[in-house]
Amino acid sequence: MINIKNLNKKICLGEIKSVDIIKKCLNCIKENDIKIKAFLRLNEKDSFIKASQIDKSNMKNKQLSGIPIAIKDNIMIKDHNMTAASKYLEHYISPYDATVIKKLKMAGAIFIGETNMDEFAMGGSTETSAYQKTTNPWNIEYIPGGSSGGSAAAVGSGMVPLALGSDTGGSVRQPASFCGVVGYKPSYGLISRYGVCALASSFDQIGVFSKTVMNVALLTSIIAGKDYNDPVCEPKGWIDYTYNLNNPYILKNLKIGIPKQLLDYKIDNDIVKVFNDAIKKLKLEGAEVFEIDIPSCKYINALYKIIMCAEVSANIATFDGIRYGYRSLNCKNLNDEYAKSRAESLGYEVKKRILFGTYVLKSQNYYKYYHKAQKVRTLLIKQIKDVYKKCDFIFSPSTLQMPVKFGEILSDECDIFLIMANLAGLPGITIPYSFSNFGMPIGMHFMGPRFSDAKLFKIAYAFEKISNFNINIFPKYLSPVLHKKDKI
Amino acid sequence: MTILEATLGLEIHIQINTKSKIFCKCSTKFGEKPNSNTCVICTSQPGTIPLLNKKAVEAIVKTGLALNFTINKQCIFARKQYFYPDIPKNYQITQLDPPICSNGKLIIISNKQKKIINMKRLHLEEDAGKLIHEVNNKKLNYSLLDLNRASIGLMELVTEPDFNSSEEVIEFLKEIKSIVEYLNVSECSMEEGKMRCDINVSVHPVEDKKLGTRVEIKNINSLSNIKDAIEYEIKRQKTIIVSNGKVIQETMLWDAKECVTKSMRFKEDTLDYRYFPEPDLVPLNLSNSFIRNLVKEIPELPKRIKLRFIKNYNLSEHLATYLISKKTIADYYEKALKTVKNPKIIAKTLANWISTELSAKLNSFKISIEDSPITCKNLAKLVSLIVSGSITRIIAKEIFEEMWKRSQPPEIIIKRKKIQQISDELTIIKMCEEAIIKNHNAVKEFISGKNKAMDAIIGFVMKKSKGLANPLVVNKILLNRLKKL
Repeated sequence: MINIKNLNKKICLGEIKSVDIIKKCLNCIKENDIKIKAFLRLNEKDSFIKASQIDKSNMKNKQLSGIPIAIKDNIMIKDHNMTAASKYLEHYISPYDATVIKKLKMAGAIFIGETNMDEFAMGGSTETSAYQKTTNPWNIEYIPGGSSGGSAAAVGSGMVPLALGSDTGGSVRQPASFCGVVGYKPSYGLISRYGVCALASSFDQIGVFSKTVMNVALLTSIIAGKDYNDPVCEPKGWIDYTYNLNNPYILKNLKIGIPKQLLDYKIDNDIVKVFNDAIKKLKLEGAEVFEIDIPSCKYINALYKIIMCAEVSANIATFDGIRYGYRSLNCKNLNDEYAKSRAESLGYEVKKRILFGTYVLKSQNYYKYYHKAQKVRTLLIKQIKDVYKKCDFIFSPSTLQMPVKFGEILSDECDIFLIMANLAGLPGITIPYSFSNFGMPIGMHFMGPRFSDAKLFKIAYAFEKISNFNINIFPKYLSPVLHKKDKI
Repeated sequence: MTILEATLGLEIHIQINTKSKIFCKCSTKFGEKPNSNTCVICTSQPGTIPLLNKKAVEAIVKTGLALNFTINKQCIFARKQYFYPDIPKNYQITQLDPPICSNGKLIIISNKQKKIINMKRLHLEEDAGKLIHEVNNKKLNYSLLDLNRASIGLMELVTEPDFNSSEEVIEFLKEIKSIVEYLNVSECSMEEGKMRCDINVSVHPVEDKKLGTRVEIKNINSLSNIKDAIEYEIKRQKTIIVSNGKVIQETMLWDAKECVTKSMRFKEDTLDYRYFPEPDLVPLNLSNSFIRNLVKEIPELPKRIKLRFIKNYNLSEHLATYLISKKTIADYYEKALKTVKNPKIIAKTLANWISTELSAKLNSFKISIEDSPITCKNLAKLVSLIVSGSITRIIAKEIFEEMWKRSQPPEIIIKRKKIQQISDELTIIKMCEEAIIKNHNAVKEFISGKNKAMDAIIGFVMKKSKGLANPLVVNKILLNRLKKL
């Protein structure tokens, strides 16, 4: 599997041409994306122009010079179409760059295309996209997960080495786990949210996909950091997350907590087996693994739904057909225009969440639902803080269920240990660990205290080395281009 | 017969005069081309996040301190949700509980009586844009949207129902306006919509403790309209109650043309704003030093300046009120006094000149006092000359005109125009003798004891000398001469 740092070095030295990388990348996409349908749009012309500029210029010395990256279609790239996979934004052109995009442009990255997702990131299967259904690269009859399913499938199938997603309730880590890639959600406030089409503002974070922890850490180093445009972004100095990433002793004596509450849920047999194997291996590495207790786990789903939908109902309100986006014709009056523009352009899942959020915020319901949910959220955060006094990191399977076929429904509990990280603002990373009996990838999840991201990467890196997952193996029917066989 | 009493409460919106909007960097300049002061944030493009303007927080804390509010150092913002095209996000960022300032107090004087007005809250929020439904008095079959005003910082002040008459309301509003202007946190012009006032009016029998049904009057754009609207509404409600009718709780608009309150078609009271804490902004956490520094920035407030003027300079209430009506006028006055050695001597005359001659000129040329061509130093010089008797009022006015035109100090104008006073006794004696001859009637009256008759004789000399004769010398010589007769 390619190491972006090395590839970048070669481009900078002129040993490899960025144009060639882009060509291979696009060929691979053209060949495979017919089946995967990860991309909503490709930026073929722009990518070649940028790549040849980099090959000629002194832009070469940047960290991501000439490296192709896929961007989830809810992140603003100036002058690019941005739909958030909604019909409402079908013709919307971004008038500005998201902060992460600005940083990536400065680092010389090439935005090869925009990836499919659940409409406005609402969903866990990428099926709510108004445009297309993305498939799981390991078996195209299965969902890739979501909401960043396009980005996960694009990386999982080897079409691109790097991708950005957004993670509000597991939306990066769940599809990463389903598609057999590393998926990382930073601590809340580590990466600027400016320019990401908001889902639930108090949970949203941009997340990163790649096949290796090293690449994820590299990309995170580039896009993280204080941003004037996002008030919740914490003032932290620049950190190189790849620094000392390889620490062979990191797992030794590491205190790893396993939530006792895992026993309360139905977990797929394959996952249980693999999880127990992972614990065994961690112990062999010298880690101290023990049970921890987070009693409020059982409320995670309810709190998440209430708070997320409440914020959704306000955030999505701006899509009203007045200033931009879809506007229904032949409306009788203003209210009719609002109603029809929204009814005709927003999907079922979006409408459902708007209605639910509107309901929980009604003045007579506010204390019954939203206010209570926030109180329980505070309690949950306190319980997790207390747990971190005993253990360094919390370890769990990324999902409690394997990916399902299209049209089938994942259980409500599938992602709750991922959602916990969003509710508490904590960093989480999923690392592919093994395969199920049916050949589908299974990921494991580490969650650390807030702003322990640097150490989390080190642990993930060490864990990646002991995993049973060979990242150089791709689904047989695909012809990935950017891996070892191509000697780049 | 039962005596009915009116109870009034106010909700005032004051636009904060920061250079940029409260949640983005757009300019707040009034009267710019529609939608020119907009950006991705205040038009609510996807992915944008509000950025709090620190200056707006400073402005409201200063105002809160000046109005004796308690400052809540920890407070949050909230989203108030409703759909209308003038708020692009379809929610307004405002504050619910706690507001940044709570429980203020202001003393007003109405009908020569002191009254304390209690204020519930003063909070920060963003303004809405403007919808335009007609152009050149022609109704459009569509609406135009101008977002220049959207997201300009507002302070909302809510009073307790502590008012009982329109006079009290007007006094209060004048006082607030003046304090806010002195703090330099808002222009407060009602015409430009920078200060807007909604009024709650209810009427109940005096012996009842419970207040009557409340009617809200919205969108009144001048003090005189506020007075008219209140008086009309009180009368309307009293008539209803007297005839055993029931006042309906509703929102009304003041129709300034017909001078009546009119029911608004939709009832705002029935809207559920679905408030919840704003997740995009971090909670406000004001430090003690932040507040201490703002306390230092609060200038002496108009009420105190007025008392000081009356006490130190022996000014009339009326004159002092005029001088403090604007901070710039009071500043001009005090700066002028500082340029002379003994300010007390000229204080009263100077105040008179500012309130009459200077203000008339400024008004007719629509110039504000800080841009006056006559500097405060030069006006003080002119007034000093008048007070010392070196020039007469008539001459002073002539010099004043020249000073206005040329923006020069009085001594230069006197030199150039050769307006030198005649103090030479021989010349004046000659004129006095002529005056005695030509005004023998007045002379006779004076000798018979009517001292007032002297004025006519002096007047003759002044006229003869084109106002240049030194009035003190004229007086002295005439008295001398007349005594000898």
